[in-house]
Amino acid sequence: MAEAPFEPKIVAFLCRWCAGAGADLAGTSRIAYPSNAVPIRVNCSGRVEPEWVMEAFRSGADGVLIGGCHPGDCHYVSGNYKTRRRVYLLRKVLAEMGIEPERVRLEWVSATEGAKYARVMKEFVAELKKLGPLSLERKEKEPTAAPVLPRVGS
Amino acid sequence: MAAKPKIAVYWTGGCGGCDVSFLELGVALLDVLAQIEIVFWPALVDTKRADVESFAPRSIAATLVNGTLRTEENVEMVHLLREKSQLVVAFGACAYQGGVPGLANLASREDILHRMSTNGFHPTPPPGGEREDAPPELLPQAKSLADEIAVDYVVPGCPPMPPLIGLLFDALLSGDLPAPSHVFAHDKALCEECPRTREDRVLSKVVRPHELIPDPKVCLLDQGMICMGPVIRGGCGAACPKAGMPCTGCVGPTPNAGDPGLAMISALGSLVRAGEEGPGAFAAEDKLLDALVDPLGTFYKYSLPAYVRTGRRSNR
Ligand code: SF4
Ligand code: SF4
Ligand code: FES
Repeated sequence: MAEAPFEPKIVAFLCRWCAGAGADLAGTSRIAYPSNAVPIRVNCSGRVEPEWVMEAFRSGADGVLIGGCHPGDCHYVSGNYKTRRRVYLLRKVLAEMGIEPERVRLEWVSATEGAKYARVMKEFVAELKKLGPLSLERKEKEPTAAPVLPRVGS
Repeated sequence: MAAKPKIAVYWTGGCGGCDVSFLELGVALLDVLAQIEIVFWPALVDTKRADVESFAPRSIAATLVNGTLRTEENVEMVHLLREKSQLVVAFGACAYQGGVPGLANLASREDILHRMSTNGFHPTPPPGGEREDAPPELLPQAKSLADEIAVDYVVPGCPPMPPLIGLLFDALLSGDLPAPSHVFAHDKALCEECPRTREDRVLSKVVRPHELIPDPKVCLLDQGMICMGPVIRGGCGAACPKAGMPCTGCVGPTPNAGDPGLAMISALGSLVRAGEEGPGAFAAEDKLLDALVDPLGTFYKYSLPAYVRTGRRSNR
């Protein structure tokens, strides 16, 4: 039997005021988009702790989407700015860990942007399919992708 | 007179600093030594593995292990010591969470061996097979002590500070033992015992320690140094901030902070400012964060094996 094609698992943390409402609109407007994401409603994207992102990865997610309000629209004024800086730093740390930073994606989605939510989801699924499943388990015999130590004499 | 408790001290992949740290107890060390019987301590007394093998199970009252688990021999020894001991204490940052040598996990075992052998550090097996005194095999990854055996208590620090070592011996010698898994340090953050005053609560630049002679009174984080004080346990008396150096986290994270790197990312995300917040500041904020060279090595300087390795959930 042929192996089933890889379907990435996504955890989507969506703020209730904008991105969450946008996702709802995508549904009520019957826009077709991939069903790979488990949405988790949060009050504000600023509430999403880096710890939750890692917990999602440890629990089997291949990608994490954080959806917040557009700049200037956050209902708590600056939650989305905090999140943007955290995601920027987290992605750097992930890269150093050997995890593709593209697996964490931050998007601004307003309550009226159901179509954007659907497009983001399609893009993200396509990107994660290219990256393949996330393995947090470092293979024992496999040299690191980019050796941290420069090879002496080579 | 009751028999003195038998104590063992062992080193695995460490630097020797933990063994030396006992001397910092000063004259109090004489008191301690008078009340214990050292049955095994390779750094100090001529004792061998065979001696440990000859001990009855659980005949050692407490074994203090320092160092990262780095070789197969380290692993064999700590299992042996566990069997012979009533209590095992992870002594120092390496045994606790992997320590500085744990940063080696960012490179593969093969890369490390290649580096060692091309620099002539690693003796190649002579013709005719392995030498009897060949070095033990390197593990694929450095591990903390708790990755291999049950650990009863932790004395953190790189190396542990005298007051924390004192707390351990107070407990061991009085018999008034804390709950299992106790860490002999504070539960509250280092900032609480740091004499520096926090003013801005924003980070508007990132500087490395050699780039700045800091103001002696103001919080280092406020001055742009990446100080881990907000997420690290107190207990050391804020030794580094008092000396003008940012805390690099050797005592390990507070129970509240959990994963020190993720907690720092969260904290820095709140603190960073490059002018008024908003899209106009995004590029400048990113540039500011780019000045934080090697965030992974900065945040997990003493704890990479404990937090960054596998999908294993880490609650320490
Ligand atoms: S210097 Fe470090 S430990 Fe002291 S208050 Fe500032 S952040 Fe906390
Ligand atoms: S200030 Fe931080 S790095 Fe320095 S001794 Fe204390 S816990 Fe360790
Ligand atoms: S409420 Fe939507 S990002 Fe803050």
